Amino acid sequence: MDPVDVQGQSQSSSQSQGEVCSSLRERSISENSLVALLQGMQGHVTTVELRDEGWAQGRLQNVDAFMNLRMRDVLYRGHNMGHTSKLQDLFITGRNIRFVHIPDHMDVLQTIQTQLQRIHRVRTFNREGGGGGRREYCPKKK
Amino acid sequence: MRLILCSNSMADEVEQQPSTNTVEEPLDLIRLSLDERIYVKMRNDRELRGRLHAYDQHLNMILGDVEETVTTVEIDDETYEELYKSTKRNIPMLFVRGDGVVLVAPPLRVG
Repeated sequence: MDPVDVQGQSQSSSQSQGEVCSSLRERSISENSLVALLQGMQGHVTTVELRDEGWAQGRLQNVDAFMNLRMRDVLYRGHNMGHTSKLQDLFITGRNIRFVHIPDHMDVLQTIQTQLQRIHRVRTFNREGGGGGRREYCPKKK
Repeated sequence: MRLILCSNSMADEVEQQPSTNTVEEPLDLIRLSLDERIYVKMRNDRELRGRLHAYDQHLNMILGDVEETVTTVEIDDETYEELYKSTKRNIPMLFVRGDGVVLVAPPLRVG
């Protein structure tokens, strides 16, 4: 399966860095797995190595809970290509990822915590509607 | 500080290292290897050796100071001899997707 085909398996819409997916299901998946780190890396330039031996180097535009990626300004080399192509926009299905290189300057722990805080903020924002907001989980007893 | 993303609770805050140190399930064995150097066998004849910084229930991992070894077998056309070649490279910090991981172990010692 060619990893660059667009697959409609997730509902994530295009979001700028810092915005959290509005789907409850995706938020739950992200906050319980290391995908949160990749989501925190949105906006950074990275190299993604694919399952089929190709790689793509560019700016992570959006990562969803299933690790599907959108990248911008990408240098892409497929497994059977001897040359690299420059692509403005690239979608990679999560299943086709083998590795993601993490930039040296990135603090892994801080990135994950920041992303978890963003998810938490979205959840509490929903609850603050005077009790009329949708409750996502039982209130914590203080 | 260790960051553990728990799969059995809706964590609304980062949880510190759990107070229990007993090994209850196989993933706990990996927890024992946090911050240690480990050996990871992956699909497609790949091996990684690096320091385990983080993992999750899918075995997605973050490894630091990684050495990746790719092993290929070439067969001589005439003698049908098997020639094993390995290619290595180093990566400072790597996110590994869990579905490629076959096994996780302490680094192999020679002899």
